[in-house]
Amino acid sequence: MSPNESQRRWSSRSIGSKLQHGIFYFLIRQGGRRAAYALLHGVVLYYVLLRPDQRRKGEPYLRRRFPGASGRQRFWHSYRMILDLGKVLVDRAVVGILGPDQMQVKLRGREELLDLLAERRGLILIGAHVGCWQAAMSALGFVEVPVNLLMQREDGDIDRHYFEHAGRECPYHIIDPRGFLGGSLEMLDVLKRGEVLSVMGDRLLGSDKNAAAVDFLGGLVRLPFSAYKLAATTGAPIAVLFSAKTGPASYELELAKVIRVPAVAGRSGAAFAPYVAEFAAALEKFTREHPYQFFNFFDMWQNDETK
Amino acid sequence: MDIKEQLKKILVEELNLEDLTPEEITDDMALFGEGLGLDSLDAVELVVLVQKHFGVEIKDMEEGRPALQTVATLAAFIEKKRQG
Repeated sequence: MSPNESQRRWSSRSIGSKLQHGIFYFLIRQGGRRAAYALLHGVVLYYVLLRPDQRRKGEPYLRRRFPGASGRQRFWHSYRMILDLGKVLVDRAVVGILGPDQMQVKLRGREELLDLLAERRGLILIGAHVGCWQAAMSALGFVEVPVNLLMQREDGDIDRHYFEHAGRECPYHIIDPRGFLGGSLEMLDVLKRGEVLSVMGDRLLGSDKNAAAVDFLGGLVRLPFSAYKLAATTGAPIAVLFSAKTGPASYELELAKVIRVPAVAGRSGAAFAPYVAEFAAALEKFTREHPYQFFNFFDMWQNDETK
Repeated sequence: MDIKEQLKKILVEELNLEDLTPEEITDDMALFGEGLGLDSLDAVELVVLVQKHFGVEIKDMEEGRPALQTVATLAAFIEKKRQG
């Protein structure tokens, strides 16, 4: 299967119905986070036991993260991972419905981020589908320049972002990668203005042509290099930020790595692969520390010809 | 050398269009997609190159969209900016 075909088959849309989401929102309003968590355990058990099609989506990652695990152990790992995803989704709704004070977010690397912004060349934040990126963004309130997100929403997705629960306006400017030239000129604009651009570094949104092959958990994965090219073109530093759930009502956002990309010659992914590899190494370290908070439910290694 | 010829040279040499020579690029060839085959990341580099070589800034999407169609539209944009 070509990368483009596999992308069409895969979707980040919520698998729950509008009614199912509504039940969780109702429970949160009536009984808070604990009530929603109680239902969540049953829902996760249903998906793990009776929906093997859904459970299997996480297996490519789990097989690499826990290479020696037996079938029964992998079953347990699946349960834990889907449960952690569910908790993150509940937490996101809790923050939206009951307010941001329901969740504590600790930021590690605040001063370093401020130093990077003080360079006035813009700042590229590269995150991943780990922990809760909305929690991560809420910890960036101290940043005085506008924050812009490159974000593609699946058509018809009924899953709500935290600010939508309270009917608030999105606190960030959204750049749609389906826009003119993939939003690249908008991204260039925000960096030229010294603003923050936040992108995800672990999933390809557009053409496979803009991907570099790097090692991740013992195999080759193709990750986007657009952000690194922008950094090379503008001189903007890259801050790799990951969030992790650290307690029932707490998250930690960590500046995991700062990547500097010099003016790189060449148009191929190979030129940017060393910098993408730095990101992949930081992401692998995250999965060692938080094995169940990695939420890419598809086979990232499917085009690895070395496997 | 006029602006269009300079642009063609820049496209080939600085965007590393290895299969093309400046002479093979026509004025009305689309920069992106089917024409020259540039992609969104090349657009970023092209905007920076235009500023570097011509001192002209493509400030936003409104300016960029009509200008970044063909060599001719980009050359016209640069000329207009220089005069204005």
